[in-house]
Amino acid sequence: MTIEKINPAPNRATPTPKPLISRDCGPEGCEVDWLASRRHEADLDIESFTDFAMEEGWGDGLPLVPPTDARVRTFLSKNDRYPDEVVAHLPPMRAECTVEKIAINAVMAGAPAESLELIIAALTAIADPDFELYGVNATTAPVFPAFIVNGPIRDKLRIPYGYSCFGGAATRSVAIGRAIRLIMRNVAGQVEGVTTQSTFGSPARISGLIAGEWEERSPWAPLAERRGVTGDAVTSFGAMGTMNILDTTSHRAVHFLEMIGKSLAYPGSNPFSPAVPYGEAMVALNPICAEIVGREMPRIEDVQECLWRFASVPADWLQTLHREQLEAQERVREDGRVYLTPEPKDILVFVCGGIGGLHATGFHSFGTSIAQTKPIASPIPVSEKQAAE
Amino acid sequence: MARGLVLDPTATREDDIANPGPEAGVLAGKRIGFRLDRMWRAWDWISDVWADKFRAEGAHVSFWRSGGRSGDEGERMEQSLKEFLSTIDVAVVGLANCGSCTGWTIRDAITAANTGLPTTAIATANFESFAHTLARRGGRSGLRVHVLPYPLNERVRDEVVAIGKAHYDALLDTMGARHAVKEHAA
Repeated sequence: MTIEKINPAPNRATPTPKPLISRDCGPEGCEVDWLASRRHEADLDIESFTDFAMEEGWGDGLPLVPPTDARVRTFLSKNDRYPDEVVAHLPPMRAECTVEKIAINAVMAGAPAESLELIIAALTAIADPDFELYGVNATTAPVFPAFIVNGPIRDKLRIPYGYSCFGGAATRSVAIGRAIRLIMRNVAGQVEGVTTQSTFGSPARISGLIAGEWEERSPWAPLAERRGVTGDAVTSFGAMGTMNILDTTSHRAVHFLEMIGKSLAYPGSNPFSPAVPYGEAMVALNPICAEIVGREMPRIEDVQECLWRFASVPADWLQTLHREQLEAQERVREDGRVYLTPEPKDILVFVCGGIGGLHATGFHSFGTSIAQTKPIASPIPVSEKQAAE
Repeated sequence: MARGLVLDPTATREDDIANPGPEAGVLAGKRIGFRLDRMWRAWDWISDVWADKFRAEGAHVSFWRSGGRSGDEGERMEQSLKEFLSTIDVAVVGLANCGSCTGWTIRDAITAANTGLPTTAIATANFESFAHTLARRGGRSGLRVHVLPYPLNERVRDEVVAIGKAHYDALLDTMGARHAVKEHAA
């Protein structure tokens, strides 16, 4: 039996926030704040510009804010990055994703300037080779990067972690998510039918999915902290969609986790596919459920272990061709079952959602796209920098 | 209506190699390597058909199968691919038959082509345009791509084998390969 484990690539540096130095040059920008992008002449009212942008292939169908020099400079002036800094090379285009391109797309999406560091951290997370964005951006699957935010920045940016946090909460996190999606389109080059073959797509390919963890209601350490990053951080997960799991009958930890684990284990999910060597899953527990589970299982590892045991199916229950391929790949374990993920640790658990209880949300990964957690940088005030020197 | 200047939100990659790279030439004595995957049984069947024909031409055939492309498994795969490419003279890389697998097929084909190997990527018809698009965006717009019918993997083995046989001569044309017999006659 050969079960391929999910381990990060060796020699990956422990993520540390990039030190930023506060520099307040105002909307006119610092001396080096030149903007290198090509200029296009266009009508500047939103409706006309949106039409223009759609013709140019820049748009997603929703109204767009014209990215004039003034708007982009104002956006940059509220941050501490130089516009020519290359943040990532995003596939399939692998062109340079600079701070300037991020700012232009963020302005078009209507994202607040204060969100730049979150956007950069999110892009850094999905640009990590272990996230396998090459496959995520090309596949026939509906996969999209979902982002879970930890730390005080959740409240500063009003990232939702209560009611309707995965969609419907009226905060500008929708615009932040949309900015990342426009960057996928305009910088990474992810265009439907051209470079992404997604059969059905997903609403989250427009608005993205950015939610916070309700750390204050979690019985366990914050998700990012458990993954090695304290404070402001973002975790990216290549999600195939959101899967609601209703449970109106359970009252003990193991009962809840049995329902959730068994629900995760449906044979058509990517991690069960013979075409996918391995996959992860993520579970959002609502605060009420989390409190009940946490009372009986104060160790998150026990929660993951319990979920993992239930998130499996007997191999002989699978359709024959499917089972035969998994058998050939030696993925049927000695107990005759096939497990959703290689190990319990590969089921990520975090807490969020409204306090009405009843529901959990499951996320299945695309497959070899491994979740990444990155710190969100915050600027060091000039006075502190000078003092340190 | 106010008009003004807006900044271009797109980024492009300018570098490109439009040349398809070296031809495979006479196959006799050459070491031909197939890049397989774990997704498409039809590609296993067709590569077996073509491998037999290559051997009949006097070539030596070997196979490399792609697995997980992330984490430590992905690092092992990258190293293993490089080692495999160093053992062959001609690369046949497939199968571009879905989104992500077209992505990885073209990426591995570009890796092979960039080492200087005569390289041909194999795509099914539905993903032909996508394969060329990714090759262009990967900086090798001239990459050789041979196209098989679509759908392919949904057919039974006998049909797939027949398709492999029927496509062999056209594959050689795409590869820039020549039969040893014809070479001697010329």
